[in-house]
Amino acid sequence: MSLVAIAEKDFQDAVRSRGMIALVALFSLLVAVFAFVIRPTGQGEQFATELLLRFFVRPFLVTTLVPLVGVVIGYNAVSGERESGSLKLLLSLPHSRADVVFGKVVGRGAALSVAVFAGFLLPAAVLAVLAQTGGIAAFNAGSYFGFTVFAAVLGVVFVAIAVGCSAAASTQRRALIGGVSIYVLFVLLWGAVTGQFLGAAGGIVDPLPLSTEQVRMFLRVSNPKTGVEILSNAFLGGQLFTGETVNRQISAASMLVFWTIAPPLVGLWKFDTDGL
Amino acid sequence: MTAIELRGVRKEFGDVTAVRDLDLTVEEGEVYGFLGPNGAGKSTTIDMLLDLVRPTSGTVRVLGRDATGDGVAIRQRTGVLPDGFSVYERLTGRKHVEFAVRSKEADDDPDDLLERVGILDDADRKAGGYSKGMRQRLALAMALVGDPDLLVLDEPSSGLDPAGAKEMREIVEREADRGATVFFSSHILEQVDAVCDRVGILREGELVAEDSVEGLREAVGGEETLEIAVGGADGTEGAGDAGVEAVRAVDGVSRVDRDGDALVVSCADGAKTRVIAALEDAGVAVDDFHTREASLEDLFLAYTEGDAPTTGASDEGSSTGGADAADEEVER
Repeated sequence: MSLVAIAEKDFQDAVRSRGMIALVALFSLLVAVFAFVIRPTGQGEQFATELLLRFFVRPFLVTTLVPLVGVVIGYNAVSGERESGSLKLLLSLPHSRADVVFGKVVGRGAALSVAVFAGFLLPAAVLAVLAQTGGIAAFNAGSYFGFTVFAAVLGVVFVAIAVGCSAAASTQRRALIGGVSIYVLFVLLWGAVTGQFLGAAGGIVDPLPLSTEQVRMFLRVSNPKTGVEILSNAFLGGQLFTGETVNRQISAASMLVFWTIAPPLVGLWKFDTDGL
Repeated sequence: MTAIELRGVRKEFGDVTAVRDLDLTVEEGEVYGFLGPNGAGKSTTIDMLLDLVRPTSGTVRVLGRDATGDGVAIRQRTGVLPDGFSVYERLTGRKHVEFAVRSKEADDDPDDLLERVGILDDADRKAGGYSKGMRQRLALAMALVGDPDLLVLDEPSSGLDPAGAKEMREIVEREADRGATVFFSSHILEQVDAVCDRVGILREGELVAEDSVEGLREAVGGEETLEIAVGGADGTEGAGDAGVEAVRAVDGVSRVDRDGDALVVSCADGAKTRVIAALEDAGVAVDDFHTREASLEDLFLAYTEGDAPTTGASDEGSSTGGADAADEEVER
């Protein structure tokens, strides 16, 4: 399996980078700081795992930092190898370009997941031990672990978008510009951009059998960042893929799948038509 | 079966035509040297064999398959040493070879291959710390994985010292003995002479000559090289320069270079007595001279610089019937 070979090589290459250790350290440090900030002060107070996740870890780490890390890990996947010349070595072996693009998504997605799991779970292990020994009351390890999975999913989606961009870019510089744009669009400006779009496209939306509200909701859910927020909220509320928001959750999940597959495909199409 | 077959291949990058109307055939089991100065289109041609770039027009067939549509199947049976590649800095040499073995679904022992190319001792070091020559050896080891039917080596000796280049030639010879077809490019003819069955010379994207090395030598004809020591110990400065002018004016002389106190003259077979005479007329003392057979370099330059000698230079001034061509020494 050519794709697996590339994914494995890329994973090994990525986890050996110094940035990887820095990343794990940064994640751990931030989680530890947040946990310290919300530590129970009075006697008999419970450790608020949900509070930690919902109001600290998610906004500061998951939906802000993890996408950034995904973009940074992904943006040079193909263009970096093209620029350095190692792509020649790679494509001298019997790999198709599809193997290269999707192998990179898998390999780097896995590397990012390892960083997220290591970074989130190291401090959690400390919390769990404290909970066991009675140092703190009731640390909800299940919620925490599930939440970490969502963080990794979001990271992988951004890796996929960035790898697609990297495959399409003819130079490392363009890939970098593309990566920054991805981050700015999805993380910072999605609401403003889609709002503008709705305003401008009013004439097109009106004749459709959809209310503006439905289109707005669709656009909101289309953002992988929002998608993960919706799903993780449902998860923490014990209503993953059930309850009244089930339709919205399914749309969100489908959009996450879409963003994992479509950008690499578009990148591949461009990569395939280009020479090296 | 033919290993490589290019028909009417043309490749344009924007307004630049890198390769034009190239027809080239390499038979199975042949060792083919692909020569040309830097920028002649060698790497572009090789990239087209491997589907790294696609021809603007024409067809490229490798091992009986279409290069554009069947690249993966072709590369499955081909070992490639690319030009201008880089290694994965953080992975060890052994990991590189393991990756190639996995990619080709071969069962080679990475250590055997690393041993063959002479870098087994450095197998556990990260390739980022390798010298240029070691990287070249590493890529060769990767190319040898799976006993390929075709070896495509782009400037294989670059970065290697003379001993390394010799080892490279020996490996190429062993692969050829095994029955592999070898296609390799070089801008130095000396490197290909010993191993090639046939060479093709590419110039500005066109194949200007294709033959065995002996055949090419014959085609260039009676061209020979004279090395003339002038001035000498009594050292009249500037005598050399006057000599160069005088010799250039002689009929049948194609090239004159200064090499310290010596003049290196490429001329038609019969012109050498006239060259000596011209020097003496110009008042330049000739201490010593000897002739040598047209070197491969001269041969190469004849094809890649100036006018390609399609008719051969031997139809000029062969009056004095050049006697033995090689290493005739005359003491004066």
